Amino acid sequence: MNRLPISLLAILMLVVLPGCDYRILERIGFTYAASYDAAPQNQVEITVSIPRAEPTIKVKRELHSAIGQSSKDARIKFANETDLLLVNGQIRVLLYSEALARKDLSNEINSILRDTSISPLVKITLVNGNAKELLSKNYKQHLSTDKYINRLLEKSSSNHRIPRTTLYEFERDYYDDGIDPIAPILKEAGEDIAVDGIALFQDYKYIAKISNRDALLFSILRGKFKKGDMSLVLSRGEDGSSSEYIMFTSVLSNRKVHVERRAGGTIHVTINANFKGSVHEYIGNKKLSVDAQRHEVESKVSEIMTESANRLVKQLQLHKVDSLGIGIHVRNSMSYEAWKKLNWREEYQKVEIECKLHFKAKDYGKIR
Amino acid sequence: MNTETKEKLSPFHTTILVHMIQTGVMALILPQLLAETFGTNGWITVLGFGLIATINILLIGAVYKLGKGRSIFQILEQSIPKFMLVPVYLALAIVWSMLGCMAGKEYILIFQMYAFPTTDPMEFKFIMDLLVFWLLTKGLYNITKASTVFFGLFVWMFLLLFFFYTDFSWSRLTPFLFKGGHFTYLESMDIYSSLLGYEVVLLMFAYTNKKTKFVKSVLIGNGMTTLTYSYLSIVTFGVFSLEQLKNKAFPVLEMLAYIRFPFMERMENLLYGFVLFTVLFSILMYEWCALEVLKQIFPKLKANFLAFIVMLTCFLIAYIPKTLNEVGDWLSTLSMIESGIAFGLPILLLVVLMFQKMGRSPAHE
Amino acid sequence: MTFSKALRNMIVKESASQTNQDDQSPPEQDSKPPTLAHTLEEFVDCSDITHRTFPDHQIDLVYFDQLTDKDKLSRHILSPLLSGSDEDVAKMVKHLQPFKTTSSKTLILDVLSGGIAVFHGPDAYVFDVYSPEARAISQSETETVITGPHDAFTEQINTSLAMIRARLKSSHLKVIKLSVGEVSKTDVYLLYIKDIVNMKFVEEAKKRIQQIEVDAILDTNMLIQYMDDNKYSIFPQYLTSERPDAIVSKLVAGRVAGIVDGSPSVLSLPTSFFEFFSSSDDYYQRWILGSAIRLLRFIAFVITISFTALYVSVTTFHYEMIPENLLMTLTESRSRVPFPPLYEALLMEVTIELLREAGARLPTKIGQTIGIVGGIVIGQAAVQAGLTSNILIIAVASSAIASFVIPSYVMSASIRLIRFGLIMLAGFLGNLGLVFGIAAIVIHLSGLTSMGTSYLNPVAPFKPKDWKDIFIRAPFTALRERPSQSSSPNVMRNKTKE
Repeated sequence: MNRLPISLLAILMLVVLPGCDYRILERIGFTYAASYDAAPQNQVEITVSIPRAEPTIKVKRELHSAIGQSSKDARIKFANETDLLLVNGQIRVLLYSEALARKDLSNEINSILRDTSISPLVKITLVNGNAKELLSKNYKQHLSTDKYINRLLEKSSSNHRIPRTTLYEFERDYYDDGIDPIAPILKEAGEDIAVDGIALFQDYKYIAKISNRDALLFSILRGKFKKGDMSLVLSRGEDGSSSEYIMFTSVLSNRKVHVERRAGGTIHVTINANFKGSVHEYIGNKKLSVDAQRHEVESKVSEIMTESANRLVKQLQLHKVDSLGIGIHVRNSMSYEAWKKLNWREEYQKVEIECKLHFKAKDYGKIR
Repeated sequence: MNTETKEKLSPFHTTILVHMIQTGVMALILPQLLAETFGTNGWITVLGFGLIATINILLIGAVYKLGKGRSIFQILEQSIPKFMLVPVYLALAIVWSMLGCMAGKEYILIFQMYAFPTTDPMEFKFIMDLLVFWLLTKGLYNITKASTVFFGLFVWMFLLLFFFYTDFSWSRLTPFLFKGGHFTYLESMDIYSSLLGYEVVLLMFAYTNKKTKFVKSVLIGNGMTTLTYSYLSIVTFGVFSLEQLKNKAFPVLEMLAYIRFPFMERMENLLYGFVLFTVLFSILMYEWCALEVLKQIFPKLKANFLAFIVMLTCFLIAYIPKTLNEVGDWLSTLSMIESGIAFGLPILLLVVLMFQKMGRSPAHE
Repeated sequence: MTFSKALRNMIVKESASQTNQDDQSPPEQDSKPPTLAHTLEEFVDCSDITHRTFPDHQIDLVYFDQLTDKDKLSRHILSPLLSGSDEDVAKMVKHLQPFKTTSSKTLILDVLSGGIAVFHGPDAYVFDVYSPEARAISQSETETVITGPHDAFTEQINTSLAMIRARLKSSHLKVIKLSVGEVSKTDVYLLYIKDIVNMKFVEEAKKRIQQIEVDAILDTNMLIQYMDDNKYSIFPQYLTSERPDAIVSKLVAGRVAGIVDGSPSVLSLPTSFFEFFSSSDDYYQRWILGSAIRLLRFIAFVITISFTALYVSVTTFHYEMIPENLLMTLTESRSRVPFPPLYEALLMEVTIELLREAGARLPTKIGQTIGIVGGIVIGQAAVQAGLTSNILIIAVASSAIASFVIPSYVMSASIRLIRFGLIMLAGFLGNLGLVFGIAAIVIHLSGLTSMGTSYLNPVAPFKPKDWKDIFIRAPFTALRERPSQSSSPNVMRNKTKE
């Protein structure tokens, strides 16, 4: 009966009450990548890269940078320099310089976490050197630098050259008391950007670095994954001619962590990792089609890998960074009170960690 | 409107309606509250709270059985003079209408954190109240019909939880039970309030018949809510680490933000809108209760006019609290009172019914 | 004063509800005996009336030449009269079995519907030789199918009825003849199958049709608007179809059909929202195909409703939701557009509607040209001129195409109109506006009824048994029961042993 006036009223109100928070696509400048550098007096220098998509102008991106107390402080400064409404909702990459990360990233990370418009899938990366320079430079043979970095990180993490470190994972590992966060490190390499290794954090503080060479090993030790490739020198011949070399791809791996308390209160942790791969290259005198000989190669690979894994773990223990999440397993093996009493950061160094890696060749290509 | 008196609720619709009333904004905050209050594996307590709700529903069921399906107003007015009941009714109406109103405002304020930060929240509230009013005038039977469709539009979102299977880790749940939390009664009341909504069925007696299988359907509805909440919480606990969870204001929204499709990202912007469908029913049914009570106080006035008054008052009251925290405080106070009502009212009714029985049986002999 | 009264009416319940007495006075009994003079007086100034006198036999004929079958007229009536004796005339009268009419009013009605009035002394007879000019049976323009019968109803009520009768050789197919329109006196046939139909629908439909008091009813789609439960709704509350096979399937499902003289569409009642998404050729395809197509239609519905609105909402408010790969393309295409997305979208939607309407009004051949010209103008020039972004064109076009997938033209038109509302809501309030809009549609739908049954059958009331014939088209072995909406007394429809 009185439905008509009500619906008319509703339509009227809708016309009268439009929201005023327009974020019309072409009038906003969405930061795609941002870099953070340490500046004097505890300030930070922030650089943002904003892609432009105007067909009429040739500029591909806008760069702004400012020094301020906090990231938002700097943001206000460079907001004055652009005709676009600056927003954070499309940030894909955050670059922090190593120098800043060595101090502490907690202020920067927290201000990002508070911002509802920033996606939890933002990638967090350290830069070996000056982050601003890395982001500002145009790399001739590549896409726009911000996109180049983003795609590089995506590709590298998909084949486990580096671990996937989004804001979500970084924060999760920070808050978890049994694991420490990690992040990839990039560096400028002439006309390219290259992955430099994996940064190991203690809370939000950058402590040490794993070199590129050990990256895949690190990934194997850290958990399950499906893709990656690796090359190993199995033995070096005396004269260099009869050296044995192997390369395998599409590694499937899983790991099991076994914790036991030995007599005397020491904690003994065994990491069992099985990984399978297809052999793509093999230089040596063994015939892979012969079971016995292949097993020999396999055990050789396992042996070498185990050895370097143990070395890697020792290195981690030395730096007191539990990036592999051994703490989670130790924690889950004991009672809550005992865990709380344990100062894991200190205890970690004393834990006996033994890695056992087992390699299996799934197949060995077209040659028998 | 006379179809309303003819058509009785069917069991399925009752179940869905109860589920829709219970699910609300609190679901977005629930995992954080659980982590804060109970610590590790706090999600298990949802089942416990569900059990408490079940007991409460059984209590209501007892009223239903003993009262032989009479409405609570008939039961009360048979033994207690009306002038004494009017203040009680009025108080109930105020609590219920405010509860609905605050739930709506909270929903909108949360939304404004993500979009439309500078728009006046009351604009959204106005449209929302318009929708509620519209449904309110349609009567309970049509409300249940709408609830079924809205349920369909909403329930698929639980499938999205499958997105987290890669990031879900059992070891993150830890083997510890309720460690590292900080238990307070106040917070646990807040958790319980996320299950509130079932008590609305107290006023639905008049709309049911034998075929409704009233108690059973309400119990199933409550069971559904309990299970979906526990499922949601367990996923949240496995995806976020405990301390992280404690630090998140809206962990569920954060999880939605994590979902990414090739054609669309940051799903929380859209999916948060879909939460409206269930929030709408939480609001609606409290306002409906207020309306039912008001109908008893003012039998002469038209239901639609009363509904208009209820919604207008609500809209005006919603102007008072301005910030998310204020609304949260109002909401916890109100839901505390509401928990009291949820238990108190059926007990009161049972007492009244006992008296009626005692009074009647000698008279019959 | 009237305002305060109206206000009071809104606030206070009426003390004693006044029962609305149906003032159904018995039809005027016009017992005036039919006479030639009176008849001619009625038809005075109707220059198309024919009056022939045969003084030999003392016979007068009054008829409308254009309504009668000339062949029959000359063979059975004129030739005996012209050549024969009185006996022949008596024989003729016997042979043709005319109705002897006693009331002047019925006589006039009969003449109007193609009878020949024969006045013989004091007696008056009527011969029915009705045969108007009719269109031949042809294909339906609006509801074409690829497989399945191609014939469609015509404007001629008896042809339409014959097409149904030919498909249902059952004495249980009952027909109620009604007449609507004070001037037009349009015939309406209500069809149902006894023992399958629930008689309450027949009674209700009959009552509603009888209650219509209007000068003329020209089409079924006009009639059903007089019968609506909810007059203000945008949604059609009765299903109309031009396909006899579709109507027969509705009849055997326990629904009531109604044919209106002069209209090629036939109505079926009660109906539900979801029924508009099924087409009769779903049943002629293999069931998996039929199911897939039906699901496709529901997807099309979602696309139609939400695609453009989502574009507007995302580009206006929720830029976060755009995936990285699409972001630059979208921004680039938007960057030259001078209007906000809302106006851009409305502009394009209106243009598409203009094209559609122009195409529908013009003859098919020119209509095609319109399509091509419009397609080029909109698709190419608008983008190149920077009036719209090409992604919007895709959104608008795909939602327009999707809207045509819905088989019922009336429903698809309603849905297209709703879309405009959603686009505006999305332009003002973003995703929340979109959700508000969807909520409003659902609320409106849940209040709708068709003949007193829920319009959202079988979702609400929840009848999962019926879903296999609504959302999918299950194999026939699974479709054993009639839909619950028709609340048929005879539920089983398929007793085939597996």
